[in-house]
Amino acid sequence: MATLRSAALVLSILSIFPMAALAAEKSEDACIDCHGDKNISGKSGSHLFIDPAQYKKTSHSVIGCTSCHESVTVNHPNDGIRPSRATCKECHSPVHQEYAASLHANNAACADCHNPHAVKPPMLTSARDMNAMCAKCHETAKMVTTHAKWLPQADLHIDALPCITCHTGSQNYVITMYVEKRMGTKAHSDFKVASYDELTQLIPGDKDVKSLIDTNGDNFISLAELRSFNRNAKNDDMRLWGMMTPEKVTHSYQILDNRWDCTFCHASGPRAMQTSFVAFPDKSGTFTRMAVEKGAVLDVLYGTPDFYMMGSTRSTALSIVGGLIILGGMGFAGVHGTLRFLTRKNRKEH
Amino acid sequence: MSTHTENTVHESHAEHAEYIYLTPMPVRIWHWINALGIVTLCVTGIQIRFPEYVNIFGTYKAAIRLHNTAGITVAIFYAIWLGYYLIVKGNLFKLYVPNTYDIKMGIFRQVLFYFYHFFKGGPSPHHATPDDKFNPMQKVAYMGLMLVLMPLVILTGILILNVAPLREMIMLLGGLKIMVSAHFLIACCFCAFLFVHIYLATMGHTMLAHFKPMWDGWEEVKHH
Repeated sequence: MATLRSAALVLSILSIFPMAALAAEKSEDACIDCHGDKNISGKSGSHLFIDPAQYKKTSHSVIGCTSCHESVTVNHPNDGIRPSRATCKECHSPVHQEYAASLHANNAACADCHNPHAVKPPMLTSARDMNAMCAKCHETAKMVTTHAKWLPQADLHIDALPCITCHTGSQNYVITMYVEKRMGTKAHSDFKVASYDELTQLIPGDKDVKSLIDTNGDNFISLAELRSFNRNAKNDDMRLWGMMTPEKVTHSYQILDNRWDCTFCHASGPRAMQTSFVAFPDKSGTFTRMAVEKGAVLDVLYGTPDFYMMGSTRSTALSIVGGLIILGGMGFAGVHGTLRFLTRKNRKEH
Repeated sequence: MSTHTENTVHESHAEHAEYIYLTPMPVRIWHWINALGIVTLCVTGIQIRFPEYVNIFGTYKAAIRLHNTAGITVAIFYAIWLGYYLIVKGNLFKLYVPNTYDIKMGIFRQVLFYFYHFFKGGPSPHHATPDDKFNPMQKVAYMGLMLVLMPLVILTGILILNVAPLREMIMLLGGLKIMVSAHFLIACCFCAFLFVHIYLATMGHTMLAHFKPMWDGWEEVKHH
Protein backbone atom coordinates (compact mmCIF):
# COMPACT_ATOMS: atom_id res chain seq x y z
CA MET A 1 0.00 0.00 0.00
CA ALA A 2 2.88 2.32 0.81
CA THR A 3 4.22 1.66 -2.67
CA LEU A 4 0.89 2.65 -4.14
CA ARG A 5 0.77 5.78 -2.04
CA SER A 6 4.26 6.79 -3.17
CA ALA A 7 3.33 6.16 -6.78
CA ALA A 8 0.16 8.21 -6.39
CA LEU A 9 2.19 11.02 -4.85
CA VAL A 10 4.68 10.97 -7.69
CA LEU A 11 1.89 10.89 -10.24
CA SER A 12 0.26 13.89 -8.69
CA ILE A 13 3.57 15.79 -8.70
CA LEU A 14 4.11 14.88 -12.32
CA SER A 15 0.63 15.98 -13.23
CA ILE A 16 1.42 19.40 -11.79
CA PHE A 17 4.69 19.58 -13.66
CA PRO A 18 4.03 18.10 -17.09
CA MET A 19 7.43 19.17 -18.35
CA ALA A 20 9.12 17.07 -15.69
CA ALA A 21 7.03 14.09 -16.75
CA LEU A 22 8.00 14.67 -20.35
CA ALA A 23 11.66 14.83 -19.40
CA ALA A 24 11.38 11.62 -17.39
CA GLU A 25 9.74 9.90 -20.33
CA LYS A 26 12.42 11.11 -22.74
CA SER A 27 15.36 10.00 -20.63
CA GLU A 28 13.58 6.73 -19.97
CA ASP A 29 13.20 6.08 -23.70
CA ALA A 30 16.90 6.67 -24.16
CA CYS A 31 17.72 4.21 -21.36
CA ILE A 32 15.29 1.58 -22.62
CA ASP A 33 16.75 1.84 -26.13
CA CYS A 34 19.82 0.04 -24.86
CA HIS A 35 18.67 -1.66 -21.68
CA GLY A 36 15.52 -2.99 -23.30
CA ASP A 37 17.61 -4.84 -25.86
CA LYS A 38 18.35 -8.41 -24.85
CA ASN A 39 21.77 -8.21 -26.49
CA ILE A 40 22.94 -5.97 -23.70
CA SER A 41 23.07 -9.02 -21.47
CA GLY A 42 25.81 -10.57 -23.56
CA LYS A 43 28.07 -7.57 -23.14
CA SER A 44 27.92 -6.82 -19.45
CA GLY A 45 25.63 -9.25 -17.69
CA SER A 46 22.00 -10.20 -17.57
CA HIS A 47 21.18 -7.72 -14.80
CA LEU A 48 21.48 -4.89 -17.33
CA PHE A 49 18.53 -6.09 -19.37
CA ILE A 50 15.20 -4.58 -18.46
CA ASP A 51 12.05 -6.00 -19.98
CA PRO A 52 10.33 -2.88 -21.40
CA ALA A 53 6.80 -4.35 -21.16
CA GLN A 54 7.22 -5.30 -17.53
CA TYR A 55 9.01 -2.08 -16.63
CA LYS A 56 6.31 0.13 -18.14
CA LYS A 57 3.76 -1.48 -15.83
CA THR A 58 5.73 -0.55 -12.71
CA SER A 59 5.16 2.57 -10.64
CA HIS A 60 8.89 3.13 -10.94
CA SER A 61 8.58 3.82 -14.65
CA VAL A 62 6.49 6.86 -13.78
CA ILE A 63 9.31 8.55 -11.92
CA GLY A 64 11.90 7.58 -14.53
CA CYS A 65 15.28 5.86 -14.47
CA THR A 66 17.33 8.81 -13.25
CA SER A 67 15.23 9.22 -10.13
CA CYS A 68 16.93 6.15 -8.74
CA HIS A 69 20.09 6.18 -10.84
CA GLU A 70 20.96 9.82 -10.21
CA SER A 71 24.61 9.74 -11.20
CA VAL A 72 23.90 8.76 -14.79
CA THR A 73 25.15 11.49 -17.14
CA VAL A 74 24.39 12.22 -20.78
CA ASN A 75 27.66 10.49 -21.66
CA HIS A 76 26.65 7.18 -20.04
CA PRO A 77 28.00 4.52 -20.51
CA ASN A 78 31.20 6.21 -21.75
CA ASP A 79 31.63 8.54 -18.80
CA GLY A 80 33.33 5.90 -16.67
CA ILE A 81 30.88 6.46 -13.83
CA ARG A 82 29.16 3.46 -12.33
CA PRO A 83 25.49 4.50 -12.03
CA SER A 84 24.32 5.06 -8.47
CA ARG A 85 21.33 3.18 -7.10
CA ALA A 86 18.81 4.62 -4.73
CA THR A 87 17.98 2.49 -1.73
CA CYS A 88 14.39 1.38 -1.44
CA LYS A 89 13.89 2.99 1.95
CA GLU A 90 14.53 6.44 0.51
CA CYS A 91 10.98 6.33 -0.84
CA HIS A 92 9.46 3.34 0.93
CA SER A 93 10.43 4.20 4.47
CA PRO A 94 7.26 2.96 6.24
CA VAL A 95 7.42 -0.37 4.40
CA HIS A 96 11.11 -0.62 5.17
CA GLN A 97 10.48 -0.04 8.86
CA GLU A 98 7.69 -2.58 8.96
CA TYR A 99 9.81 -5.15 7.13
CA ALA A 100 12.90 -4.48 9.25
CA ALA A 101 10.94 -5.45 12.35
CA SER A 102 9.79 -8.74 10.80
CA LEU A 103 11.29 -12.24 11.03
CA HIS A 104 12.21 -12.10 7.36
CA ALA A 105 14.40 -8.97 7.43
CA ASN A 106 17.66 -10.76 8.14
CA ASN A 107 17.09 -13.32 5.42
CA ALA A 108 16.23 -11.32 2.31
CA ALA A 109 16.67 -7.77 1.06
CA CYS A 110 13.92 -5.94 -0.84
CA ALA A 111 15.38 -6.79 -4.24
CA ASP A 112 15.53 -10.50 -3.40
CA CYS A 113 11.76 -10.58 -3.76
CA HIS A 114 10.98 -7.42 -5.72
CA ASN A 115 12.78 -6.69 -8.96
CA PRO A 116 12.51 -2.87 -9.04
CA HIS A 117 12.22 -2.98 -12.85
CA ALA A 118 9.33 -5.42 -12.81
CA VAL A 119 7.70 -4.89 -9.44
CA LYS A 120 3.93 -4.58 -9.46
CA PRO A 121 1.28 -3.99 -6.84
CA PRO A 122 -0.15 -7.12 -5.21
CA MET A 123 -3.51 -6.73 -6.96
CA LEU A 124 -1.78 -7.00 -10.33
CA THR A 125 0.11 -10.13 -9.32
CA SER A 126 -1.30 -13.63 -9.28
CA ALA A 127 -1.21 -15.42 -5.95
CA ARG A 128 0.55 -18.28 -7.73
CA ASP A 129 3.35 -15.88 -8.74
CA MET A 130 3.59 -14.65 -5.16
CA ASN A 131 4.09 -18.20 -3.95
CA ALA A 132 6.57 -18.91 -6.74
CA MET A 133 8.63 -16.05 -5.32
CA CYS A 134 8.54 -17.56 -1.83
CA ALA A 135 9.36 -20.99 -3.26
CA LYS A 136 12.68 -19.66 -4.59
CA CYS A 137 13.98 -20.10 -1.04
CA HIS A 138 11.19 -22.06 0.65
CA GLU A 139 10.95 -25.11 -1.55
CA THR A 140 7.28 -26.13 -1.87
CA ALA A 141 7.77 -29.85 -1.16
CA LYS A 142 9.68 -29.06 2.04
CA MET A 143 7.04 -26.56 3.10
CA VAL A 144 4.32 -29.16 2.61
CA THR A 145 6.27 -31.58 4.82
CA THR A 146 6.86 -29.08 7.61
CA HIS A 147 3.26 -27.80 7.54
CA ALA A 148 1.85 -31.32 7.42
CA LYS A 149 3.17 -31.87 10.95
CA TRP A 150 0.29 -29.85 12.29
CA LEU A 151 -1.87 -28.72 9.36
CA PRO A 152 -4.41 -31.17 7.87
CA GLN A 153 -4.16 -31.31 4.06
CA ALA A 154 -1.05 -29.10 4.03
CA ASP A 155 -0.61 -29.65 0.29
CA LEU A 156 -4.08 -28.30 -0.39
CA HIS A 157 -3.59 -25.30 1.89
CA ILE A 158 -0.30 -24.35 0.25
CA ASP A 159 -1.95 -24.74 -3.14
CA ALA A 160 -4.91 -22.50 -2.32
CA LEU A 161 -3.33 -19.78 -0.20
CA PRO A 162 -0.64 -17.23 -0.88
CA CYS A 163 2.01 -17.68 1.85
CA ILE A 164 1.52 -14.05 2.89
CA THR A 165 -2.10 -14.74 3.84
CA CYS A 166 -0.90 -16.52 6.96
CA HIS A 167 2.65 -15.29 7.37
CA THR A 168 2.09 -11.54 7.38
CA GLY A 169 -0.33 -9.32 9.20
CA SER A 170 -2.24 -8.88 5.93
CA GLN A 171 -5.96 -8.31 6.31
CA ASN A 172 -9.35 -8.39 4.61
CA TYR A 173 -9.46 -11.65 2.73
CA VAL A 174 -11.32 -12.24 -0.49
CA ILE A 175 -11.48 -15.11 -2.94
CA THR A 176 -9.57 -14.44 -6.11
CA MET A 177 -10.06 -16.88 -8.95
CA TYR A 178 -7.55 -17.49 -11.72
CA VAL A 179 -8.24 -19.11 -15.04
CA GLU A 180 -6.05 -22.19 -15.19
CA LYS A 181 -5.38 -24.37 -18.18
CA ARG A 182 -3.89 -27.80 -18.56
CA MET A 183 -0.40 -27.39 -19.87
CA GLY A 184 1.11 -29.97 -22.19
CA THR A 185 -0.52 -32.43 -24.47
CA LYS A 186 -1.14 -35.30 -22.02
CA ALA A 187 -4.72 -35.97 -20.99
CA HIS A 188 -4.26 -35.09 -17.31
CA SER A 189 -1.32 -32.72 -17.41
CA ASP A 190 -1.01 -30.18 -14.62
CA PHE A 191 -3.08 -27.02 -14.46
CA LYS A 192 -1.21 -23.72 -14.61
CA VAL A 193 -2.49 -20.15 -14.56
CA ALA A 194 -3.18 -19.33 -18.21
CA SER A 195 -1.28 -16.47 -19.80
CA TYR A 196 -2.86 -13.75 -21.91
CA ASP A 197 -1.66 -15.39 -25.12
CA GLU A 198 -3.00 -18.80 -24.11
CA LEU A 199 -6.41 -17.37 -23.42
CA THR A 200 -6.60 -15.27 -26.59
CA GLN A 201 -6.19 -18.48 -28.59
CA LEU A 202 -9.48 -19.68 -27.13
CA ILE A 203 -11.43 -16.59 -28.06
CA PRO A 204 -12.67 -16.01 -31.59
CA GLY A 205 -11.91 -12.68 -33.27
CA ASP A 206 -10.44 -9.70 -31.48
CA LYS A 207 -12.42 -10.09 -28.29
CA ASP A 208 -10.80 -9.38 -24.96
CA VAL A 209 -9.77 -12.30 -22.72
CA LYS A 210 -12.32 -11.10 -20.17
CA SER A 211 -15.11 -12.04 -22.58
CA LEU A 212 -14.25 -15.64 -21.80
CA ILE A 213 -16.37 -15.26 -18.64
CA ASP A 214 -17.82 -11.76 -18.82
CA THR A 215 -19.78 -12.57 -21.95
CA ASN A 216 -21.96 -9.44 -21.94
CA GLY A 217 -18.95 -7.13 -21.51
CA ASP A 218 -20.33 -5.17 -18.54
CA ASN A 219 -17.08 -5.56 -16.59
CA PHE A 220 -18.89 -7.56 -13.93
CA ILE A 221 -19.27 -11.31 -13.64
CA SER A 222 -22.76 -12.44 -12.77
CA LEU A 223 -23.46 -15.84 -11.23
CA ALA A 224 -25.07 -16.89 -14.52
CA GLU A 225 -21.90 -16.02 -16.44
CA LEU A 226 -19.76 -17.82 -13.88
CA ARG A 227 -21.92 -20.93 -14.00
CA SER A 228 -21.93 -20.90 -17.77
CA PHE A 229 -18.11 -20.73 -17.86
CA ASN A 230 -17.70 -23.47 -15.26
CA ARG A 231 -20.08 -25.79 -17.08
CA ASN A 232 -17.98 -25.62 -20.22
CA ALA A 233 -14.53 -25.14 -18.74
CA LYS A 234 -13.82 -28.85 -18.46
CA ASN A 235 -14.24 -29.32 -22.17
CA ASP A 236 -11.57 -26.73 -22.86
CA ASP A 237 -9.22 -28.19 -20.22
CA MET A 238 -9.70 -25.14 -18.06
CA ARG A 239 -10.75 -24.51 -14.50
CA LEU A 240 -11.14 -21.59 -12.16
CA TRP A 241 -8.73 -21.89 -9.28
CA GLY A 242 -9.77 -19.98 -6.18
CA MET A 243 -7.26 -18.64 -3.67
CA MET A 244 -7.85 -16.69 -0.48
CA THR A 245 -5.95 -13.45 -0.97
CA PRO A 246 -5.55 -10.46 1.33
CA GLU A 247 -6.79 -7.05 0.20
CA LYS A 248 -4.49 -5.19 2.54
CA VAL A 249 -0.97 -6.52 2.17
CA THR A 250 1.72 -5.88 4.77
CA HIS A 251 5.43 -6.66 5.01
CA SER A 252 5.19 -7.75 8.63
CA TYR A 253 6.47 -11.29 8.13
CA GLN A 254 5.80 -13.21 11.29
CA ILE A 255 4.25 -16.36 12.67
CA LEU A 256 0.93 -15.26 14.03
CA ASP A 257 -0.55 -17.23 16.90
CA ASN A 258 -4.09 -17.03 15.57
CA ARG A 259 -3.10 -18.74 12.31
CA TRP A 260 -2.47 -22.00 14.18
CA ASP A 261 -6.17 -21.94 14.93
CA CYS A 262 -8.16 -23.32 12.01
CA THR A 263 -11.19 -21.29 13.03
CA PHE A 264 -9.37 -18.10 11.97
CA CYS A 265 -10.42 -18.95 8.41
CA HIS A 266 -12.81 -21.84 8.73
CA ALA A 267 -15.22 -20.26 11.19
CA SER A 268 -15.49 -16.99 9.34
CA GLY A 269 -18.91 -18.07 8.11
CA PRO A 270 -20.60 -17.68 4.73
CA ARG A 271 -21.02 -13.94 5.23
CA ALA A 272 -17.27 -13.48 4.98
CA MET A 273 -17.22 -15.40 1.72
CA GLN A 274 -19.36 -13.03 -0.31
CA THR A 275 -16.61 -11.09 -2.06
CA SER A 276 -14.79 -12.68 -4.92
CA PHE A 277 -13.00 -11.71 -8.10
CA VAL A 278 -11.71 -13.28 -11.25
CA ALA A 279 -8.19 -12.15 -12.11
CA PHE A 280 -7.57 -12.04 -15.86
CA PRO A 281 -4.05 -11.99 -17.30
CA ASP A 282 -2.90 -8.91 -19.23
CA LYS A 283 -0.48 -8.74 -22.13
CA SER A 284 2.36 -7.59 -19.89
CA GLY A 285 2.05 -10.50 -17.44
CA THR A 286 0.08 -8.54 -14.84
CA PHE A 287 -3.49 -9.33 -13.79
CA THR A 288 -6.67 -7.28 -13.74
CA ARG A 289 -9.40 -8.23 -11.33
CA MET A 290 -13.07 -8.24 -12.18
CA ALA A 291 -15.69 -8.33 -9.43
CA VAL A 292 -18.01 -11.34 -9.25
CA GLU A 293 -21.61 -11.24 -8.06
CA LYS A 294 -21.98 -11.84 -4.35
CA GLY A 295 -22.25 -15.41 -3.14
CA ALA A 296 -20.31 -17.02 -6.01
CA VAL A 297 -18.22 -19.26 -3.79
CA LEU A 298 -21.35 -20.35 -1.92
CA ASP A 299 -23.14 -21.54 -5.05
CA VAL A 300 -23.71 -25.27 -4.61
CA LEU A 301 -22.79 -26.55 -8.02
CA TYR A 302 -21.22 -24.27 -10.57
CA GLY A 303 -20.10 -21.09 -8.79
CA THR A 304 -16.67 -22.40 -7.94
CA PRO A 305 -16.79 -26.16 -8.45
CA ASP A 306 -13.24 -26.66 -7.30
CA PHE A 307 -13.10 -24.23 -4.40
CA TYR A 308 -14.53 -25.17 -1.05
CA MET A 309 -13.48 -24.00 2.37
CA MET A 310 -14.71 -26.39 5.02
CA GLY A 311 -17.07 -24.56 7.34
CA SER A 312 -16.99 -21.21 5.57
CA THR A 313 -18.31 -21.73 2.08
CA ARG A 314 -21.24 -23.96 2.98
CA SER A 315 -24.45 -23.45 1.10
CA THR A 316 -27.37 -22.36 3.28
CA ALA A 317 -29.86 -24.03 0.93
CA LEU A 318 -28.05 -27.33 1.26
CA SER A 319 -27.90 -26.99 5.04
CA ILE A 320 -31.67 -26.54 5.07
CA VAL A 321 -32.21 -29.63 2.88
CA GLY A 322 -29.91 -31.63 5.17
CA GLY A 323 -31.73 -30.34 8.23
CA LEU A 324 -35.08 -31.36 6.73
CA ILE A 325 -33.78 -34.88 6.08
CA ILE A 326 -32.78 -35.19 9.75
CA LEU A 327 -36.06 -33.66 10.88
CA GLY A 328 -37.84 -36.19 8.68
CA GLY A 329 -36.17 -39.02 10.60
CA MET A 330 -36.99 -37.45 13.94
CA GLY A 331 -40.50 -36.62 12.78
CA PHE A 332 -41.19 -40.21 11.77
CA ALA A 333 -40.21 -41.42 15.23
CA GLY A 334 -42.21 -38.64 16.87
CA VAL A 335 -45.42 -39.08 14.87
CA HIS A 336 -45.35 -42.89 14.83
CA GLY A 337 -44.48 -42.92 18.53
CA THR A 338 -47.41 -40.65 19.36
CA LEU A 339 -49.87 -42.78 17.38
CA ARG A 340 -48.37 -45.87 18.98
CA PHE A 341 -48.95 -44.39 22.41
CA LEU A 342 -52.51 -43.39 21.58
CA THR A 343 -53.35 -46.85 20.22
CA ARG A 344 -51.55 -48.86 22.90
CA LYS A 345 -54.82 -50.40 24.13
CA ASN A 346 -55.35 -52.13 20.77
CA ARG A 347 -52.14 -54.10 21.17
CA LYS A 348 -52.81 -55.10 24.76
CA GLU A 349 -55.91 -56.99 23.63
CA HIS A 350 -53.67 -59.33 21.67
CA MET B 1 -20.41 -66.20 24.19
CA SER B 2 -22.78 -69.07 23.90
CA THR B 3 -21.67 -72.44 22.57
CA HIS B 4 -24.92 -72.81 20.69
CA THR B 5 -24.74 -72.82 16.92
CA GLU B 6 -26.50 -70.12 15.00
CA ASN B 7 -29.55 -72.14 14.17
CA THR B 8 -29.93 -73.32 17.71
CA VAL B 9 -33.28 -72.69 19.22
CA HIS B 10 -33.62 -73.32 22.90
CA GLU B 11 -36.28 -73.12 25.51
CA SER B 12 -35.76 -70.68 28.27
CA HIS B 13 -36.64 -71.09 31.88
CA ALA B 14 -39.74 -69.09 31.20
CA GLU B 15 -42.48 -71.35 30.13
CA HIS B 16 -43.44 -69.91 26.73
CA ALA B 17 -40.29 -68.15 25.70
CA GLU B 18 -38.12 -69.48 22.94
CA TYR B 19 -34.78 -68.00 21.87
CA ILE B 20 -33.03 -67.97 18.54
CA TYR B 21 -29.38 -67.02 17.95
CA LEU B 22 -30.03 -64.16 15.58
CA THR B 23 -26.91 -62.01 15.59
CA PRO B 24 -23.46 -63.64 15.50
CA MET B 25 -20.70 -62.00 17.52
CA PRO B 26 -18.69 -60.53 14.60
CA VAL B 27 -21.84 -58.74 13.44
CA ARG B 28 -22.50 -57.43 16.96
CA ILE B 29 -18.94 -56.12 17.34
CA TRP B 30 -19.19 -54.48 13.94
CA HIS B 31 -22.59 -52.99 14.77
CA TRP B 32 -21.49 -51.27 17.95
CA ILE B 33 -18.22 -49.98 16.52
CA ASN B 34 -20.21 -48.71 13.58
CA ALA B 35 -22.79 -47.12 15.89
CA LEU B 36 -20.13 -45.32 17.92
CA GLY B 37 -18.38 -44.29 14.70
CA ILE B 38 -21.50 -42.91 13.04
CA VAL B 39 -22.60 -40.98 16.13
CA THR B 40 -19.07 -39.51 16.40
CA LEU B 41 -19.16 -38.63 12.71
CA CYS B 42 -22.54 -36.90 13.06
CA VAL B 43 -21.53 -34.85 16.10
CA THR B 44 -18.09 -33.86 14.75
CA GLY B 45 -19.72 -33.22 11.38
CA ILE B 46 -22.01 -30.62 12.94
CA GLN B 47 -19.00 -28.72 14.29
CA ILE B 48 -17.13 -29.05 10.99
CA ARG B 49 -20.03 -27.58 9.03
CA PHE B 50 -21.07 -24.93 11.54
CA PRO B 51 -17.86 -24.00 13.37
CA GLU B 52 -18.95 -20.48 14.24
CA TYR B 53 -22.00 -21.82 16.10
CA VAL B 54 -20.89 -25.20 17.43
CA ASN B 55 -17.74 -25.98 19.37
CA ILE B 56 -17.99 -29.33 21.12
CA PHE B 57 -14.44 -30.58 20.76
CA GLY B 58 -12.45 -27.51 21.78
CA THR B 59 -10.80 -26.72 18.47
CA TYR B 60 -11.79 -27.09 14.85
CA LYS B 61 -8.75 -29.24 14.24
CA ALA B 62 -9.76 -31.64 17.04
CA ALA B 63 -13.18 -32.06 15.40
CA ILE B 64 -11.56 -32.65 11.99
CA ARG B 65 -9.06 -35.18 13.38
CA LEU B 66 -11.77 -37.06 15.27
CA HIS B 67 -14.06 -37.01 12.24
CA ASN B 68 -11.26 -38.36 10.03
CA THR B 69 -10.35 -41.08 12.53
CA ALA B 70 -13.99 -42.15 12.99
CA GLY B 71 -14.51 -42.04 9.22
CA ILE B 72 -11.52 -44.24 8.49
CA THR B 73 -12.58 -46.65 11.25
CA VAL B 74 -16.12 -46.92 9.86
CA ALA B 75 -14.72 -47.40 6.35
CA ILE B 76 -12.37 -50.20 7.43
CA PHE B 77 -15.11 -51.93 9.40
CA TYR B 78 -17.47 -51.55 6.47
CA ALA B 79 -14.94 -53.39 4.31
CA ILE B 80 -14.71 -56.13 6.97
CA TRP B 81 -18.52 -56.29 7.21
CA LEU B 82 -18.82 -56.56 3.44
CA GLY B 83 -16.13 -59.24 3.33
CA TYR B 84 -17.81 -61.16 6.17
CA TYR B 85 -21.21 -61.28 4.49
CA LEU B 86 -19.90 -61.71 0.95
CA ILE B 87 -17.17 -64.25 1.55
CA VAL B 88 -17.46 -65.83 5.03
CA LYS B 89 -21.25 -66.05 5.19
CA GLY B 90 -21.97 -65.69 1.50
CA ASN B 91 -25.53 -64.52 2.15
CA LEU B 92 -25.22 -60.76 1.65
CA PHE B 93 -27.64 -60.61 -1.24
CA LYS B 94 -30.07 -63.06 0.31
CA LEU B 95 -30.24 -60.97 3.48
CA TYR B 96 -30.12 -57.50 2.01
CA VAL B 97 -31.59 -57.58 -1.47
CA PRO B 98 -35.40 -57.80 -1.68
CA ASN B 99 -36.61 -60.91 -3.51
CA THR B 100 -39.48 -61.12 -5.98
CA TYR B 101 -42.02 -61.73 -3.23
CA ASP B 102 -40.72 -58.74 -1.28
CA ILE B 103 -41.07 -56.47 -4.29
CA LYS B 104 -44.49 -57.76 -5.36
CA MET B 105 -46.11 -58.00 -1.97
CA GLY B 106 -43.76 -58.03 1.03
CA ILE B 107 -42.82 -54.35 1.06
CA PHE B 108 -46.45 -53.28 0.70
CA ARG B 109 -47.57 -55.63 3.47
CA GLN B 110 -44.83 -54.44 5.77
CA VAL B 111 -45.59 -50.77 5.13
CA LEU B 112 -49.25 -51.49 5.71
CA PHE B 113 -48.35 -53.16 8.98
CA TYR B 114 -46.19 -50.32 10.26
CA PHE B 115 -48.60 -47.58 9.31
CA TYR B 116 -51.95 -49.31 9.84
CA HIS B 117 -52.20 -52.84 11.28
CA PHE B 118 -49.69 -52.10 14.00
CA PHE B 119 -51.98 -49.39 15.39
CA LYS B 120 -54.97 -51.71 15.15
CA GLY B 121 -53.07 -54.34 17.10
CA GLY B 122 -52.37 -56.75 14.21
CA PRO B 123 -49.27 -59.00 14.07
CA SER B 124 -46.17 -58.29 11.93
CA PRO B 125 -46.20 -60.23 8.66
CA HIS B 126 -42.51 -61.03 9.10
CA HIS B 127 -40.72 -63.16 11.70
CA ALA B 128 -36.97 -62.92 11.93
CA THR B 129 -34.84 -66.05 11.49
CA PRO B 130 -31.04 -66.11 11.16
CA ASP B 131 -31.31 -66.66 7.41
CA ASP B 132 -34.10 -64.16 6.89
CA LYS B 133 -33.63 -61.67 9.67
CA PHE B 134 -34.87 -58.57 7.91
CA ASN B 135 -38.40 -57.78 6.90
CA PRO B 136 -38.89 -56.49 3.34
CA MET B 137 -38.87 -52.85 4.49
CA GLN B 138 -35.68 -53.40 6.43
CA LYS B 139 -34.13 -55.05 3.39
CA VAL B 140 -34.89 -52.03 1.23
CA ALA B 141 -33.67 -49.59 3.88
CA TYR B 142 -30.50 -51.51 4.70
CA MET B 143 -29.74 -52.18 1.05
CA GLY B 144 -29.99 -48.47 0.34
CA LEU B 145 -27.91 -47.58 3.37
CA MET B 146 -25.28 -50.30 3.33
CA LEU B 147 -24.91 -51.05 -0.36
CA VAL B 148 -25.51 -47.59 -1.87
CA LEU B 149 -25.19 -44.73 0.62
CA MET B 150 -22.39 -46.19 2.74
CA PRO B 151 -20.04 -46.79 -0.22
CA LEU B 152 -20.89 -43.30 -1.51
CA VAL B 153 -20.28 -41.55 1.80
CA ILE B 154 -17.00 -43.45 2.21
CA LEU B 155 -15.90 -42.66 -1.34
CA THR B 156 -16.71 -38.95 -1.04
CA GLY B 157 -15.10 -38.91 2.41
CA ILE B 158 -11.86 -40.42 1.10
CA LEU B 159 -11.84 -37.88 -1.74
CA ILE B 160 -12.46 -34.91 0.57
CA LEU B 161 -9.77 -36.21 2.90
CA ASN B 162 -7.18 -36.22 0.10
CA VAL B 163 -8.18 -33.32 -2.10
CA ALA B 164 -4.78 -32.45 -3.54
CA PRO B 165 -3.60 -35.97 -4.45
CA LEU B 166 -7.02 -37.09 -5.73
CA ARG B 167 -7.95 -33.83 -7.48
CA GLU B 168 -8.26 -35.43 -10.91
CA MET B 169 -10.75 -37.99 -9.67
CA ILE B 170 -12.71 -35.27 -7.87
CA MET B 171 -12.90 -33.23 -11.08
CA LEU B 172 -13.98 -36.30 -13.00
CA LEU B 173 -16.87 -36.77 -10.59
CA GLY B 174 -18.04 -33.17 -10.91
CA GLY B 175 -15.78 -31.16 -8.61
CA LEU B 176 -15.08 -30.69 -4.94
CA LYS B 177 -18.40 -29.00 -4.23
CA ILE B 178 -20.39 -31.94 -5.55
CA MET B 179 -18.33 -34.27 -3.37
CA VAL B 180 -18.83 -32.13 -0.26
CA SER B 181 -22.55 -31.65 -0.95
CA ALA B 182 -23.10 -35.37 -1.53
CA HIS B 183 -21.11 -36.25 1.58
CA PHE B 184 -23.17 -33.84 3.66
CA LEU B 185 -26.57 -34.96 2.35
CA ILE B 186 -25.75 -38.67 2.71
CA ALA B 187 -24.47 -37.97 6.23
CA CYS B 188 -27.84 -36.32 6.99
CA CYS B 189 -29.57 -39.48 5.73
CA PHE B 190 -27.49 -41.57 8.15
CA CYS B 191 -28.31 -39.17 10.96
CA ALA B 192 -32.04 -39.37 10.13
CA PHE B 193 -31.68 -43.15 9.96
CA LEU B 194 -30.25 -43.20 13.49
CA PHE B 195 -33.49 -41.77 14.87
CA VAL B 196 -35.69 -44.09 12.79
CA HIS B 197 -33.48 -47.09 13.55
CA ILE B 198 -33.47 -46.57 17.32
CA TYR B 199 -37.19 -45.87 17.34
CA LEU B 200 -38.10 -48.95 15.29
CA ALA B 201 -35.83 -51.04 17.50
CA THR B 202 -38.23 -50.32 20.36
CA MET B 203 -41.08 -51.98 18.45
CA GLY B 204 -40.43 -55.52 19.64
CA HIS B 205 -42.88 -57.24 21.98
CA THR B 206 -41.18 -55.23 24.70
CA MET B 207 -39.37 -51.92 24.27
CA LEU B 208 -35.94 -53.58 24.67
CA ALA B 209 -36.67 -56.91 22.95
CA HIS B 210 -34.86 -55.96 19.75
CA PHE B 211 -31.90 -54.40 21.57
CA LYS B 212 -31.07 -57.65 23.35
CA PRO B 213 -30.05 -59.72 20.29
CA MET B 214 -27.69 -56.97 19.20
CA TRP B 215 -26.05 -57.20 22.61
CA ASP B 216 -25.91 -60.96 23.34
CA GLY B 217 -27.06 -62.46 20.05
CA TRP B 218 -30.27 -64.12 21.32
CA GLU B 219 -33.73 -62.97 20.42
CA GLU B 220 -36.75 -64.11 22.32
CA VAL B 221 -39.45 -65.39 20.01
CA LYS B 222 -42.90 -64.74 21.30
CA HIS B 223 -45.58 -67.18 20.32
CA HIS B 224 -49.08 -65.95 20.18
